[in-house]
Amino acid sequence: MTLKRMRFLQEVLDFVGLGGRLHMEWISSAEAQKFAQVVTDFTEKIRRLGPNPLHAFIQPDMILRPRVVAASGLKSTAAEKEDAKGSLPFTGKQ
Amino acid sequence: MECKFVPSVCSYCGVGCGVLFKVVDGKLTGTLPLKTHPVNEGRLCVKGWNIHDFVNSYLRLKSPLIRAFGRFIKTDWEEAIKITSDRLKDIVRQHGPDSVGVLVSAKMSNEENYLAQKFARAVIGTNNVDHCARL
Amino acid sequence: MKDQVKKWLESGTVDIFLGMKMVDGHPLPHAFTLGNISDLEELVPGTVRYPLETFAAELAAENPDARIGLAARECTQRALNVLSLWNQAPTDRIETIKLNCCPSPLKEHAACSYLDPPEAGLFKKHFGIDNAADPEAVARFEPRERFSRWMYEFQKCIKCYGCRNICPVCFCEDCSLEHKDLIGTGQLPPEAPIFHLVRAVHMAGRCIDCGLCEEACPADIPLRLLYRKVNAVVDDLFDYRAGEGEQPPPFNIIGERPSLEPKPMENGSACPQR
Repeated sequence: MTLKRMRFLQEVLDFVGLGGRLHMEWISSAEAQKFAQVVTDFTEKIRRLGPNPLHAFIQPDMILRPRVVAASGLKSTAAEKEDAKGSLPFTGKQ
Repeated sequence: MECKFVPSVCSYCGVGCGVLFKVVDGKLTGTLPLKTHPVNEGRLCVKGWNIHDFVNSYLRLKSPLIRAFGRFIKTDWEEAIKITSDRLKDIVRQHGPDSVGVLVSAKMSNEENYLAQKFARAVIGTNNVDHCARL
Repeated sequence: MKDQVKKWLESGTVDIFLGMKMVDGHPLPHAFTLGNISDLEELVPGTVRYPLETFAAELAAENPDARIGLAARECTQRALNVLSLWNQAPTDRIETIKLNCCPSPLKEHAACSYLDPPEAGLFKKHFGIDNAADPEAVARFEPRERFSRWMYEFQKCIKCYGCRNICPVCFCEDCSLEHKDLIGTGQLPPEAPIFHLVRAVHMAGRCIDCGLCEEACPADIPLRLLYRKVNAVVDDLFDYRAGEGEQPPPFNIIGERPSLEPKPMENGSACPQR
């Protein structure tokens, strides 16, 4: 059941764009090697994904953002997505 | 068992959203947005959603209170209006009519608002009239 | 329908019938009883929906002997199924008359306010998520953009709790959305996306896809789309569809007592690396 619930949570998080940041693994208390490996791998993976994009949102001026975006005329065209990481309106500072 | 659904208008702000009250056995038990109302089209804010809470609240003010000796004392309307008018007269006499301001509300009718500004201009003699919808 | 209701009320099959009545051009829910049987003339199917099943469940809980009739759409029927699964509605005391309903191919006969969702504006299409989009279309955005778009939608929330209040299958006395240890209270917008995701997770295996939440949302957040996706995941993992059948929902099972046959895992791992 827990496996499936975790899988469910992973899928929901992925759907809102926070995929890959949740991981579950069964490790016996005798499997120190495996534990170290899993933690190292997952840390590496999180490092590759970058900082939590949520932090950019936990700011008092959050509610003003749409106006800022509208004023700056940002567009999320395919070309812009390629080169400018911070160009999307709600990704915050990178 | 008696169950009624009563359409009404939200009593909070000047928007005047349509609400639907659920009345069970004479007691207000729920509030819903009125789906067909042209103003809110089935949506409400958090205050509108909880109207039934304040109607049934035990904290609700049911009679005028006068502050005397540092605490509030229950009184009737007759006395409350008399004290208010006496104090207003005092203030106007001592500090002039411009020391009084009248704030009116979008939830009153047009005629009541007219009367309030008439009261401010003609009776008190001040132009300090303001309205919550002007903010 | 009027004759049927009249027969029910007169024979005592039901003590009270919840339907829609036309009042000054507004279709409003109305409780028909023997006392006001003349009102039956104005009984209409109604073009808008109110959570009649919630009223019925509340009335049934307060009056243990009352028998309740209900004009039920398909979503009402599904909601009643879910409520009875969670022991919230005594289905043996609730009679329903089925209404012609969505999703009907014959639009002109279907009486449902949800058939024509309003079209999304340009800005919303550009930075947010179109309420009429389907989950696959949203999943096609790359993760960063998807997150950005969802956050645009979530941060519009004015925390009116309308989605929860109108939801026919939300019945908890203590709601986690109001629990200060689980979700920061007093902020506006509420802690996005925690607020919305908590509600989404609670809708898993429960949401009957009636769309009332989205109709009640003053900020036009595509809630129905989110819950539809959540339910699709539940269907995918647990083979469970809310509102159909008599099985208890999968998240109701605690410990090792799976009453549902779990689907075999693909590739042996429950948590594949993405």
